[in-house]
Amino acid sequence: MLILGVETSSTQVSCALGGHEGVRSAAQVNRDQRHAELLAPMIEQVCRAAEVQYRELGAIAVGVGPGLFTGLRVGIATAKAMAFALRIPMIGVSSLDLLAFPLRFSPKTIVAVMDARRGEVFSATYRATPGGLQRLVEPQVGAPAELAEELRSHSGDHLLVGDGAVRYAEHFAPGKGIEHADRALAHPSAWALVQLAHAQAVREEFVAPEEIHPTYLRKPDAEANWVQRPGLLPPTAAGGRP
Amino acid sequence: MAGPRSVLLGIETSCDETAAAVVARDADGNFEVLSSAVASQIELHARFGGVVPEVASRAHIESLNPVVAEALVEAGIGGDQLDGVAATAGPGLVGSLLVGVSAAKALAMVWGVPYVGVNHLEGHLFAPLLEEAEVRFPLLVLLVSGGHTMLIGMEGPGRCRLLGRTLDDAAGEAFDKVARYLGLGYPGGPVIDRLATQGDPAAIAFPRSMLHDGLDFSFSGLKTSVVNHVRRNPDVDAVDVAASFQEAVVDVLIAKARRAADGIGALGMTLAGGVAANSRLRERWLDAAMADDRRAMLPSLAYCTDNAAMIAAAGLWRLGAIGPTSLDSGVDPNWALSDTTS
Ligand SMILES: [Zn+2]
Repeated sequence: MLILGVETSSTQVSCALGGHEGVRSAAQVNRDQRHAELLAPMIEQVCRAAEVQYRELGAIAVGVGPGLFTGLRVGIATAKAMAFALRIPMIGVSSLDLLAFPLRFSPKTIVAVMDARRGEVFSATYRATPGGLQRLVEPQVGAPAELAEELRSHSGDHLLVGDGAVRYAEHFAPGKGIEHADRALAHPSAWALVQLAHAQAVREEFVAPEEIHPTYLRKPDAEANWVQRPGLLPPTAAGGRP
Repeated sequence: MAGPRSVLLGIETSCDETAAAVVARDADGNFEVLSSAVASQIELHARFGGVVPEVASRAHIESLNPVVAEALVEAGIGGDQLDGVAATAGPGLVGSLLVGVSAAKALAMVWGVPYVGVNHLEGHLFAPLLEEAEVRFPLLVLLVSGGHTMLIGMEGPGRCRLLGRTLDDAAGEAFDKVARYLGLGYPGGPVIDRLATQGDPAAIAFPRSMLHDGLDFSFSGLKTSVVNHVRRNPDVDAVDVAASFQEAVVDVLIAKARRAADGIGALGMTLAGGVAANSRLRERWLDAAMADDRRAMLPSLAYCTDNAAMIAAAGLWRLGAIGPTSLDSGVDPNWALSDTTS
């Protein structure tokens, strides 16, 4: 089965196409805030390079975050609309899983750390198993200093990967059980996505487009404020449309 | 119907409505709306007293596919029978625009048809043309919504000139703010409209800002006057405040629209935008047109508020007159109407 993968949860836009024989073609560009301009032409290019027509695709895979909201909207809206138009199923994969994937043969504890802006990082922790990677800590959002402290409180070796680990390097100084992966792996890639998605496709772990939801890990600002201080908002009891 | 017919899917996600529609245009340029579906987010935003951009973007992601499916099913048309896919590319909330534009490009790619990026304001100008076959130009359009208050002269489809605009708040924004101050909830337009029917429009003499002064508008002073009046007269009847406030807004809108229509020798005058749903404005619009011997056009309420049929219609015109939009184009949250025509 041919799978098209779309990953836009970081500043990098990436797209790949592959199947049981691995990734046939892939492309990626790192240019902040240009997801909307870059993605569609990249999909066309990747399919053309692999000489694949859209109707030959069997599934659309997408990185569902956590990540930058702007990028996620572009990638997920694009992927869902393609699956809808082609009437094919989807596979959603955590963008943190995609970061960890290339390091799946490491004996260390893998820590995927993405820049979440606003002085925070998205992170999750993994260890290698014969079948692939096993999540030890579920995706979360928090201050890099807190994550660093948490890691130091555990014994054992940690291998950090992701643009969050790069950006907040001062919190994650190498040594004392902390090591950094190659910077070339700092963004979740569609190359990893297609491989992970193919493994899921073999197990027939598909979902319908309406079951794909972005992982935000953060409430919208207004909602967070609402929860904190509902008393300050104007009364809306009489509101609503007639 | 003669000649080649083009059919477009339109997508609108610039603010708080997720909308999709299928519209056809015949060789004579007449539009036929085959379907128009809207998923409103009003309930989601009501408790915040206004549209929250992040809440809107998230809702668009969830609603878009179902709304597109509804529009296609209702039109009885498959994606492969379309001649293109249009989407609002600006102005609007950037996160919301990105969802509609990304989906539209994806659909266009898969179906192998052109993508067309449409200006939302230009879309509103096509709303009056959806229901009337023989429109005679020049046409004066008053575009009034929560985000815009503009007087536009139209010499033909897609050929328009901005004649006047608000210098501060949009008319719809003034309705929302006044309603919010009076504790009436959100959105303010329908509530004030309803209350005003029971009040006296002459009860309170609110100011008519810049009434005799050019074609631009200003509504922030009026909003302040309402607040001050209620503060000084806490026992005032809300229905009189609503009626008097609404009358002040409508007076200014009507006076300037008539002057602008005179200025361009307009044969007709039409309303567009969410505030065009206001019953008092519609009533006085008809009176004004009759007094000046002009044809009045009042689009259905469904085409006044944000909808995708108007986007599809503008897309059909744009596709024919200018051509497809490149897939490497993005969104422009500040896309001005003046940039859409040469
Ligand atoms: Zn609008």
